[in-house]
Amino acid sequence: RMEASCLELALEGERLCKAGDCRAGVSFFEAAVQVGTEDLKTLSAIYSQLGNAYFYLHEYAKALEYHHHDLTLARTIGDLLGEAKASGNLGNTLKVLGNFEEAIVCCQRHLDISRELNDKVGEARALYNLGNVYHSNGKNVASAGTHDPGELPDDVKNALQKAANYYEENLKIVTELGDRAAQGRAFGNLGNTHYLLGNFRSAVLAHEQRLLIAKEFGDRSAERRAYSNLGNAYIFLGEFETASEYYKRTLQLARQLKDRAVEAQACYSLGNTYTLLQDYEKAIDYHLKHLVIAQELNDKIGEGRACWSLGNAYTALGNHDQAMHFAERHLEISREVGDRSGELTARLNLSDLQMVLGLSYSTNNSMLSESHVVDNSLNGTRPRVGRRHSMENMELMKLTPEKVQNWN
Amino acid sequence: SQPLAGRQAAELQSKVVPSKQILHSDNMEMEPETMETKSVTDYFSKLHMGSLVYSCTSKRKSK
Repeated sequence: RMEASCLELALEGERLCKAGDCRAGVSFFEAAVQVGTEDLKTLSAIYSQLGNAYFYLHEYAKALEYHHHDLTLARTIGDLLGEAKASGNLGNTLKVLGNFEEAIVCCQRHLDISRELNDKVGEARALYNLGNVYHSNGKNVASAGTHDPGELPDDVKNALQKAANYYEENLKIVTELGDRAAQGRAFGNLGNTHYLLGNFRSAVLAHEQRLLIAKEFGDRSAERRAYSNLGNAYIFLGEFETASEYYKRTLQLARQLKDRAVEAQACYSLGNTYTLLQDYEKAIDYHLKHLVIAQELNDKIGEGRACWSLGNAYTALGNHDQAMHFAERHLEISREVGDRSGELTARLNLSDLQMVLGLSYSTNNSMLSESHVVDNSLNGTRPRVGRRHSMENMELMKLTPEKVQNWN
Repeated sequence: SQPLAGRQAAELQSKVVPSKQILHSDNMEMEPETMETKSVTDYFSKLHMGSLVYSCTSKRKSK
């Protein structure tokens, strides 16, 4: 039997990647590279696909290597379209690796060549990629910074505003081209950019468009993303009921799509939303659901978060024993995962709880009986009026979006 | 006057919930990246006027 040629191996690699088996595809492409070919355009196509396969496999260093080979090759043979594509892919990969400066140069090159070739599709795609780079850049700086609440640093704001501009430019072109799928993507990321900028109304408008397009395509993952993003925006608009409705749809779809991690996230969001609505029973219900899945997925950080949230919710209900239990568990997990701030929070919570419990146990009978009343609250005989009254002290419902926007 | 433990409990209740940390994991759901694609078949079908079979066999002969 004749030995497989480079082309045959590459064709099999293509077939496997298209079928969704990137791992197997990679072996065929690498075998093709081993065999080698003198046809540099074929080799460029192989490098490009290897880069993409590694990108989808989240092996970004390898992706970078192959997209770089592809770029060099495309330049060598003077293939301008090929160079544009390689630049775009390299830009996306550099973005994921956090090298935003070089990513921008590459994506800009993709844009420039596309314009030079009057390639509208390429131009639109380059604009989308550029938007993504600036979005990531802004988000990255925002989460690393120690800025005051209520104010985004100027460099973050600038990067996010640039991202929004690129998405808008992209939207103009893909709307002209009638490319609904591309419109959907742009609306989704534009919505998230507005969200980070604190433009929550604009975020809602964009995500509503995204939702519409997701439904047009029957794309349930995109639909779920839109619900989740709408939920987030409504939280910061202070419309918690609406947020809870969107999170419930997220949860519904996550279950249909059998994505446990996303289901856990939806439960967590719902737990937080019901906390904001001061419906602590429902909050506990969802946080417990989140806890179960986090344990199932061996997600220690998620488990710690669940325990912290549960401790808070039980404290709000006056169930200090349960609160203690979860605060202790939160402390344990924070230590386990080396979360220093979590550990500190847990310690503070515990000392507060110990104070309350210690006082109620160590004083006279009337105090003891009071703590019994609190315990009964679990069985639904909680003195509601008293609790509601004490809740009036909470600033929670008065929070404006301006105050809330830097909670992350 | 309010018993000490009761007051402590009320204070505890009122300070736990409105924490800035409460939504610290609400994650934004981004749209996927779009990668540019190249294909050996695209290239061959263009170069050899759509005849992949011809291009493959000719390629094999030339080796």
